[in-house]
Amino acid sequence: MNCTEFQEILPEVFEAGRTAEQAAHLKSCPRCSGLLADLDLIAREARQLQELAEPSPRVWNSIEIELRREGVIHELPGGPVVAPRARSWNLGAWLAPVAALVLVAFAIGVYQRGWLSPQSAPQLTATAPAQISNPQPAKNQPANQPANNEDQQLLAAVASRSPAMRAQYASNLQNVNAYIRDAEESAQADPNDEEAQQIVMDAYEQRAAVYEMALDRSLP
Amino acid sequence: MAIARRAQLVSMVILATAIYASAEVRKEFRFTVGPRSVISITNQYGPISVKPGVGTQVIVTAVLHSDQVEVDHTQSGNRVDILSHLLSQTDADTGRVDYEVSVPADASVAMRSSTGLLHAEGLHGDVTLEGSQANVEVRDIANAHVHVRTLNGSVSLNNIRNGHVEVTSVGGDVVLNAVNGPLVQVNSTSGKIHYEGDFGSSGEYMLTSHSGDIEASAPTDASFDVTARSVRGKVENDFLLEPKHTPFVVRAGSAFAGTMNKAASSVRLFSFSGKIHLKKR
Repeated sequence: MNCTEFQEILPEVFEAGRTAEQAAHLKSCPRCSGLLADLDLIAREARQLQELAEPSPRVWNSIEIELRREGVIHELPGGPVVAPRARSWNLGAWLAPVAALVLVAFAIGVYQRGWLSPQSAPQLTATAPAQISNPQPAKNQPANQPANNEDQQLLAAVASRSPAMRAQYASNLQNVNAYIRDAEESAQADPNDEEAQQIVMDAYEQRAAVYEMALDRSLP
Repeated sequence: MAIARRAQLVSMVILATAIYASAEVRKEFRFTVGPRSVISITNQYGPISVKPGVGTQVIVTAVLHSDQVEVDHTQSGNRVDILSHLLSQTDADTGRVDYEVSVPADASVAMRSSTGLLHAEGLHGDVTLEGSQANVEVRDIANAHVHVRTLNGSVSLNNIRNGHVEVTSVGGDVVLNAVNGPLVQVNSTSGKIHYEGDFGSSGEYMLTSHSGDIEASAPTDASFDVTARSVRGKVENDFLLEPKHTPFVVRAGSAFAGTMNKAASSVRLFSFSGKIHLKKR
């Protein structure tokens, strides 16, 4: 059995256990055994999500207020409608294993396509999506330098998908970072200037546009 | 002799295969929709043109430039999604699809392409156009939202009446001609912004850039209230404005503010290093 054959049946190996032939391959192949260990880890970590699945009462309260404000729910004569806690826990109870399965399936799919192989260049860290969703330009960064860590990660991701586009994104990021620095300086110089505050938001909107276009998987 | 004939035959087969593989394929899809339908077209490579049709039909004509791309289409009630689906390693040539779409005039249309021209005209439903390198052309739209976002593609809007217009272009130039409505907002980092029109009758016009020049041209009977400032660039004004109070210090040559006629619309022009010119037409 070779690596390709093993990875094709990886979901079954993961769920139903392994045959002698598969066990022999795992023993002799550090790559596949490492992959299986990673998947085990993901599944274990995902199971722990169950502990986090029950949101605090404050969350339900906020949702209820928002729904009432938008007119989606109304006050009943007997008092406000409260989200049933037992049901919410049940939701969390099945969400955790489902999340675990989705994570495992995703990881298998990603690995089989070679997206996470060492050759496929840049690996965004686990925290990258959260950082990228609210990217911040580096303070006092020279205008002719492209970027902070998030920008570098973004450029690496762009380069891996479309190498020719990297230079354009780098140039655009430089420009929007300069825009943000100018806007922030201007707003700090006169905190009462509402227009200057608005310009800061405009500048960040430009940066968000660059990030969203770069990360849009439906476009090359 | 036999070998030569066989070689000739093989060459012809290869040539025929190559011609077949590279041939354009034209496909047409038709969908029947109700009022205020929602149409979405996503094309990785190639232009999209949307025009109003007759009746309640959405007609999509797609020209596929190779067999490495196909068109996926789904309809869910009043919503139609069209997507170019790249089948394997493709590039801008083999993955290209040219779309011509006719929709009911009241349809809302969203279109995205990375490279081709995005064109919409004659609609009165909302229009959203997005593309990184794609140039955007929108004309003859009334009473609708027009949202445009490009990275480096240029944007040209013509004859947009009573529109809610929002344009974000990082590096592409933006030209607005006869565009008016309650909100006209353009935000660019390095692209130039050119506005030519009368600023409507009660709208808010905000043209902002970091380093691109801003030029706005209006007739002398236009009615607006304007503030313009460039932090490091120059400002020029051809109008005789009635002075007005501003929340910032007006430094000659880098800012001006005032009203023209009855100040029906609010106009704000702002740049950090671009030049701003308010011209009389």
